[in-house]
Amino acid sequence: MISDFAFLLSGAGLIGLALFRLATSADLLMRVLGLNVLAIGIAMVLLVAARGAAGTDAVPQAFILTGIVVLVGVTAALLALAERVAEARDE
Amino acid sequence: MTELLHFAGIGLMIAGTAFLAMAALGVWRLPDLLSRLHVLTKADTAGVALIALGAACLAQSFAATLSLLLCTLLVALSGATTGHLIARDHVESASSQEESP
Amino acid sequence: MMVFDAVLAAACLVAAAMALFARDRIAAVAAFLVMGLLIALAWLRLGAPDVALAEAAIGAGLTGALLLRSAHRIPAAPTKPLPSAQWLGAGVLSVAVGGAIVWTSMSIGAAPAYPPLVAVAVPESGVENPVTAVLLNFRAWDTLLEIAVLFAALAVVAVVKPVRPRIAPLGPLMLPFARVVLPLTILLAGHLLWQGGHAPGGAFQAGAVLAGGAIALGLSGAVRPIRWGRAGLAWLSILGLAAFAVAALAAELLTGALLGYPAGAAKAWIIAIESALTLSIAATLLLLFFGPAERH
Repeated sequence: MISDFAFLLSGAGLIGLALFRLATSADLLMRVLGLNVLAIGIAMVLLVAARGAAGTDAVPQAFILTGIVVLVGVTAALLALAERVAEARDE
Repeated sequence: MTELLHFAGIGLMIAGTAFLAMAALGVWRLPDLLSRLHVLTKADTAGVALIALGAACLAQSFAATLSLLLCTLLVALSGATTGHLIARDHVESASSQEESP
Repeated sequence: MMVFDAVLAAACLVAAAMALFARDRIAAVAAFLVMGLLIALAWLRLGAPDVALAEAAIGAGLTGALLLRSAHRIPAAPTKPLPSAQWLGAGVLSVAVGGAIVWTSMSIGAAPAYPPLVAVAVPESGVENPVTAVLLNFRAWDTLLEIAVLFAALAVVAVVKPVRPRIAPLGPLMLPFARVVLPLTILLAGHLLWQGGHAPGGAFQAGAVLAGGAIALGLSGAVRPIRWGRAGLAWLSILGLAAFAVAALAAELLTGALLGYPAGAAKAWIIAIESALTLSIAATLLLLFFGPAERH
């Protein structure tokens, strides 16, 4: 129970830190990194909520797995866009 | 026999952890990149190998030992390769900085 | 173990702070990789080994590689001093959101509704691992759309086509490394794929591991995936989506339900779909890393 609470605090802390960074950074790479940290924090909170007497609920686990795969696609697309933006600024 | 293996496993794990702690201490305290890499690559590989050996003693199953062996092999290989790559990059950028001014 | 969990949870936060607030971008990405591995360990402790595997392979490994690749290509933004009101606002926002999440999670008392339903349905799903059962049987429709999203991301990268300075080979030791590691990753991917039916593992983890091995080969400079077999890789990345869609329609014809597998044969259907997905995910991730095309 105390372990779950520690991980819940950690997840909420990750979300807070990532939001703070997203709101204060102008660096595109750091923003993409912040988005990844935010997603990990949300996944952590979901996993803690999925804990029960009979083990960890499989449905939120499947959500998070889907989320991780979608996130890597989004990250790659955002990085490609950021590279294109940097290139347009050079021109 | 199982008792003996149990204690050997715990001893090996403690030794491995000590190696890893030493590596962390070295990375923290040593002054420059090359000496840090020196302590990291060696102590790290040895620490992981010892912990894997300890875990194999505790698990006492052939399948577990095989996968632990694979883990150790991969850690040793990637540790050596990344150490080499970082050192190479460091040496190259240092020599190009000496030439350019 | 409580002390270990508390230390681990704190270490995740410290690593995240190091990643987000590092001055040097390479140091930031390195801290992000460390955070990913710590997070994987934390999720193992939370009883989610499937998710931990995916986080270690995709979240930490491939995302870290993508960020590291782009670190030199995206110039750092000029650091303008922000007004202190913005700092204050950001601080208040993040503390408020974090606090609200903790408070809400603590005040929810209801037990989760899904575990009994999943426990009842798993024996009919064809696989014993409940997470694979949810992903490839009960909610297979979501997974089909997820693959479509991954393909859409590849399409975005192909359309945007940033000028990609050639990713330089990493030195002479990389080829022997890839020679040993690539066969091992193929072995591991097959193992993870098969194991996904009854233990932690599955197509996503297997595909990510396979992509990692192929990226090692690409970085050795022996093979340039962009020039060599770009079309083949692109077809392979469509294959997963196509096979999944065909399977969905075939199941519709056979049983009258979209992705409702014929009784008794579910395991074979799932393994067939997952095999196609593994190859397809590996090809997609490889193309996302090296870029689907070069612009001249």
